[in-house]
Amino acid sequence: MEAKSASSTHEVILEVENVSKSFPGVKALDGVSFDLRRGEVHALVGENGAGKSTLMKILSGVYQPDDGIIRYKGKPVTFSDVTQARKAGIAIIYQELNLIPHLSVAANIFIGREPLTRFGTLDEKRMNADAVAMLARLNVALDPTIKLNQLPVSKQQMVEIAKAISFDSEVLIMDEPTSALTESEINELFRIIHTLRDQGVAIIYISHRLDELKHIVDRISIFRDGRSVSTDDYTAISMGEIVNRMVGRKLENKFPPKQNVPTTEKILEVRHIVRKGVLHDISFDLYRGEILGIAGLMGAGRSELGRAIFGADPIDSGEVLMNGHKLSLRSPADAIKAGIAYLSENRKEEGLAVKMTLAENVTMANVLEICRRFGVLSRGQEIEVTQRYVKSLNIRTPRLTQIVNNLSGGNQQKVVVAKWLFCDSKILIFDEPTRGIDVGTKYAIYELIGALAREGRGVIMISSDLPEILGLTDRVLVLHEGKLAATLTTAQTTQEEILNYAAGVA
Amino acid sequence: MSEMPTEPIEKARPESPEKAGKSGLALDRFITFAAVIVLFTFFSLTARNFFTMRSILSLALQTSTITLMGIGVTFVIITGGIDLSIGSVVAFSGTIAVIAARAGLPIWLSMVIGLCVGVVTGLLNGLMITRLKLPPFIATLGTMMVTRGVALTITNANAWPAPQDFGKLGNGTVFGTGPQFPGIPYPVLIMIAVALIFGFILSRTRLGRYTYAIGSNQEAARLSGIKVNQVKMINYVFCGLLSALVGIILASRMVTSQPNSATGYEMNAIASAVIGGTSLMGGVGTVGGTVIGSFIIGILTVGLTMAGANYFMQQIVIGLVVIGAVTVDQLRGRK
Repeated sequence: MEAKSASSTHEVILEVENVSKSFPGVKALDGVSFDLRRGEVHALVGENGAGKSTLMKILSGVYQPDDGIIRYKGKPVTFSDVTQARKAGIAIIYQELNLIPHLSVAANIFIGREPLTRFGTLDEKRMNADAVAMLARLNVALDPTIKLNQLPVSKQQMVEIAKAISFDSEVLIMDEPTSALTESEINELFRIIHTLRDQGVAIIYISHRLDELKHIVDRISIFRDGRSVSTDDYTAISMGEIVNRMVGRKLENKFPPKQNVPTTEKILEVRHIVRKGVLHDISFDLYRGEILGIAGLMGAGRSELGRAIFGADPIDSGEVLMNGHKLSLRSPADAIKAGIAYLSENRKEEGLAVKMTLAENVTMANVLEICRRFGVLSRGQEIEVTQRYVKSLNIRTPRLTQIVNNLSGGNQQKVVVAKWLFCDSKILIFDEPTRGIDVGTKYAIYELIGALAREGRGVIMISSDLPEILGLTDRVLVLHEGKLAATLTTAQTTQEEILNYAAGVA
Repeated sequence: MSEMPTEPIEKARPESPEKAGKSGLALDRFITFAAVIVLFTFFSLTARNFFTMRSILSLALQTSTITLMGIGVTFVIITGGIDLSIGSVVAFSGTIAVIAARAGLPIWLSMVIGLCVGVVTGLLNGLMITRLKLPPFIATLGTMMVTRGVALTITNANAWPAPQDFGKLGNGTVFGTGPQFPGIPYPVLIMIAVALIFGFILSRTRLGRYTYAIGSNQEAARLSGIKVNQVKMINYVFCGLLSALVGIILASRMVTSQPNSATGYEMNAIASAVIGGTSLMGGVGTVGGTVIGSFIIGILTVGLTMAGANYFMQQIVIGLVVIGAVTVDQLRGRK
């Protein structure tokens, strides 16, 4: 807290005045105003669809505003493309990193402007040296010749940051930078953000994880429905107030009251699962009506455990019993037939066929159900089924044949849930169900998970969000380096205890 | 859940409003169909004898083979694959059918054997792609060379005449009323039947749905329990089967085995699919679109010939149409 605004000079570097932007049928921004000072970390929060991303795309030159003024260093500017904005000193780091996996760290940083020797060949030596210097500005030591795909996501992100500041950026926009990071990696990222801020860089920080803001943010602006609601010093506003302004109504609790009561009836028994180098002899039980959390640091094998039970990855030994019967888990098709569902953490890559329609995605895992004889589809039945889930899950869409890519993240997640409900799955494995999802929708997803367990299904919830684990589950498995480090009863544990087991210090 | 904020419905997607909805597809189809009408009218006015029953029937006959191959490759392309072996399989299957007929087997049986050749090459393509994990481009390139080579070796690169009855399928017609209306050629009827059947499979059956799902997102499809390998295999078998059908029709039309024929036909097939809106990225395409795409190529070929343009000019024009069609697609922002 103390060092926070030390380097903030109150000099405004970027000013947005009454900016509006419409797309066909949608007013994405409606007279937004916002200012950014040199040497501050300025959080921008709001639900999905509040207009944050649109404003950031305007600032970084992807879109042009319909109306309003942007002043940069006192002068009105318009950026017609990303290159112009970057040259002026405004860089953006998206949630999905824009790096080339097969090239080295240095090559990624200097791509498109590689230093050349006198003979016109690549000057690798200088490029590597410059890359090291650039990383040193972030206090990061990294071999510049290593290939990017050999680095963990967190290190890749540092490369992205180094690339951004290598353009002498004075404004750095970060969109959900922590969504793929573990606790310790997040701390490292915050250290880097502090370093940059102290060097006078102005940082716009977009995040759905409100609890992490207290570590780094100087001021906070709140957006709702395409309008800017308020800007405050972070210390002058309470968390409750932030959430209220974001959703425009009182949201008392982050988590719904407990709905499910675990039974003592085993629905799933996992026995000695081994996947060499990834999972080491893991055994546990899941009870009917129970929500079982799986916690652990990144790389501890959380998702891998979920995928193994689902048959998505092959295992070397071990077995899984459902209702006492041994399951064959050679493919997801087997698991689905048995009544197991897996909701992947990467919705767009693994969960949805984004080019297809909402209805087609809902029925994808159980097309047989809407088929007449000989595998002929009944469109009418498909629409009927989809209608039912759109209603019960409150999926917001203009029509049932909407292409899934055009839905918001929260609604996409609900489409995935609908897909598995339509299979009448008895066991649902949620992998990071609320990643990249706004507060209001999170609550709805939590309610949904609770309701699924109340109906007597077994729910496994893999999450890196510990409050979520504590707020929702009945028991927690903590993984550490592919081993089961602890099985804890949620009501009797704490965030600290889980973290200790996860870090292998307990 | 009822206390979810009730924003207006359009607000659900303000983050990506620029993308086209599915209604754009219908418009695209209309545009390509309109292009067929425009081309047809143009040649009717400029080329003498274009708008006669005889030349229309000949147009349909010529186009039938491109359409059949195009439909097969459309299935494969929608899964995100490609089949370069089509032309070779056409020649190979036709050759085998003629050899079988010459050996004294009944005509129908030799034709079925020809079709089986297509099924087997399709299976081999599918196996290499799903089991050995070869890229479709490489696997089918290999098949293209091997099947062509086998066809040339067993015939010593000679064209052999087939028994007279072998020519009925390619040259026969129905409903003929004399010189004014020589009748609808069998291959045109086959084309119509295949287009209807395969169009139905693609748009109305589980298999068709899975085909789109795999092309749209293979991993999501697998994690939804879809047997990805099995569906892909079936698609390559379809493509091989339709290629073999074309091989038999062509051999029947010539009443000879032609191991040297059909070189590069796969490119026409791919072009017809692409002009018809099939995306090489997978996940997008329809049988109807491919039929229209084939007819655009067919009309251009026949029309330009009748208008006096030589083969080389036709190549240039068709090439430009392929580029133009995909450019229009890209400009419309469809991925």
